[in-house]
Amino acid sequence: MMSFRSVLLLATLLALLLAVPPLLDLAWQNALVNVLIASLFALAFNLLVGQAGLLSFGHAAYFGVGAFAALHLMIAIEDGLAFPTPLVPLAGAVVGLVVGLVAGFFATKRSGVYFALVTLAIAELIHALAPRLEGLFGGESGIGSMRMPFAGIVFGSTIEVYYLTLGWVLFCGLGLYLYTLTPFGRLTLALRDNEQRVRFLGYDAHSSKVIVFAISGMVSGVAGSLLAISNETANYSLFATDVSAQVVLQTFVGGSTVFFGPVIGAAIFALFSFLVSDLTRSWVFYQGLIFVLVMLYAPTGIGGAIQHHIRHRRQLDWPALAAPYAAMLFGGLLVAAGIVFATEMVAVMFGEDYARTREAAGGALIPFELFGATWSPTGPSTYLIPLVLLGAGIAILVKVRRRIDAVWAARGEQGSKTQTLATTGGIQ
Amino acid sequence: MSADTRVRPALKLSGVTKSFGPIEVLKHLDLEIASGERHAVIGPNGAGKSTLFNLISGIFAPSSGEISLNGRSIGGMAPEQINRAGLARSFQITNIFHRLSVFENLRIGVLARFGVRYGLFRPISGMRRINEETEKVLAQVGLESRGHDLAGDLTYSEQRALEIGMTLTTGADVILLDEPTAGMSREETAEAVELIRAVTVGKTLLMVEHDMSVVFSLCDRVSVLVYGSILATDTPQGVSANHAVQEAYLGQEAA
Repeated sequence: MMSFRSVLLLATLLALLLAVPPLLDLAWQNALVNVLIASLFALAFNLLVGQAGLLSFGHAAYFGVGAFAALHLMIAIEDGLAFPTPLVPLAGAVVGLVVGLVAGFFATKRSGVYFALVTLAIAELIHALAPRLEGLFGGESGIGSMRMPFAGIVFGSTIEVYYLTLGWVLFCGLGLYLYTLTPFGRLTLALRDNEQRVRFLGYDAHSSKVIVFAISGMVSGVAGSLLAISNETANYSLFATDVSAQVVLQTFVGGSTVFFGPVIGAAIFALFSFLVSDLTRSWVFYQGLIFVLVMLYAPTGIGGAIQHHIRHRRQLDWPALAAPYAAMLFGGLLVAAGIVFATEMVAVMFGEDYARTREAAGGALIPFELFGATWSPTGPSTYLIPLVLLGAGIAILVKVRRRIDAVWAARGEQGSKTQTLATTGGIQ
Repeated sequence: MSADTRVRPALKLSGVTKSFGPIEVLKHLDLEIASGERHAVIGPNGAGKSTLFNLISGIFAPSSGEISLNGRSIGGMAPEQINRAGLARSFQITNIFHRLSVFENLRIGVLARFGVRYGLFRPISGMRRINEETEKVLAQVGLESRGHDLAGDLTYSEQRALEIGMTLTTGADVILLDEPTAGMSREETAEAVELIRAVTVGKTLLMVEHDMSVVFSLCDRVSVLVYGSILATDTPQGVSANHAVQEAYLGQEAA
């Protein structure tokens, strides 16, 4: 059960989510809508990967059908169907559930790599078929509709869409959390650990996995519906591999072993694309780099790392950790600066614009503008600065890591002592 | 034993054959385990003991022949169906949920027994009967103080005890234990024997066991499996006095 402190934390977060958005401008409100949708999608996805141990590479399929289902319902409402606009995501839920049941039935017949490949194939199948099915998916350009007013709410402004989205995300997020407390939620974890044993305890493992898959598809469908309501349009690119890949990256960066981990990843990536995609075209590269670094140095994700610290908070010597952690942050920033410098430089020097200016200048390696300064492609500082930044950053990180390990190891000794006591207690 | 159970054995194999391709691992096997009996299967490596267990518990379907549990044919059924028909098994290689708590490991089976296999609309913490029953099994296998620990963190012999506990949770009355004392010290083995004796009271037990002292102290009858056929079925004393068995199996150990 949740501790008082986590309830307080969640209440604060909820209050912020309710109170702050009206004070923000439209772009930020819209970005937060996207954060909420990505969070719900990642939570739905993590039900499958984190709890049932089934890694799907084709979750765009269920997200996408949810979006189209919502739009078709919205079109019907436009045409006079008496259906409350706030309940439009139900269409996504139903269609996500049904498509999830069918796809899940086949996909969960296999596990591991084969399961991943079947889910990928199913999503690709829909992606390839969708542009041909004009009536359903509106061809290449997709379909669109308007949000119709309901009960005096016009749904014309972004903030109204925000609150509608928030309501659905909280409702479904809470539902997914309560799911973990039910017998079936525990069975889901058991399936992840040892499917064979589950069968020998009298459970039909295949049916169970189909149900988990379908529930994940259902909530993904709700998330897709919310995107459709927000955008009032959708096309077949929603089924693309990068939508499926995005949710995988977000979930693992956030941490698939912690219930709220995926939300952290989704928030980071959605905000990152909002803040950085206008600044640089290399933002997708940075996203990939973040993913690789997190997987290498914090395999349980950001949520996992936070949980690890919370678990050991009483045994850790926090004052001894403060300085190395600050140094680690500084080193990390240096490395990031070095990488950004090098990446942007490469992007300029191998970009079309620069090629054109060079051509105009008769092929000479002319200086270029970057970060408000002029750099010569042949000048040493152009290469030395990123190298020094990277080198210094890495040196600091390597050194500081040893100190951090030492502090954690000191905790380890205390920890193993209590462990031994517990073990002897167990034998008696 | 009542007259009724004498007529209908708890577990009966008649003419069971299992081949993998051209290799016949079990050859026209007949075996009857009476209700309430503790029965051991012994035999050299490769004799087909594991295959026998896998056939009875549903991992494989027999190539031919009949397997019946309490008079009901189970040959070729899926493991979960056989479990619901009243048979549970343990595994030679510990087969638990490593990342779940010990308590949770046992509760999964208890849930199955009480028929709340797929409950989605009630929190598990409020299911008093199930939690009490789980506590009971936890105490039975001597793991009360380890309930909250991860199953993967248990010592080897504790995991073996958990393995037996999980086998009990579904309430089956026919229990198959696959080398429950393998890899244990003498002391741990003695504890395991007492545990098995205590938890199988009123149940039917079929076990694969290498340790003859375990077989002698625990079992009513023993079947000797050699090259896919049953060489002899008798009391432990009878089997150890059997000349053919001595030559085929026990003789190797004595030599």
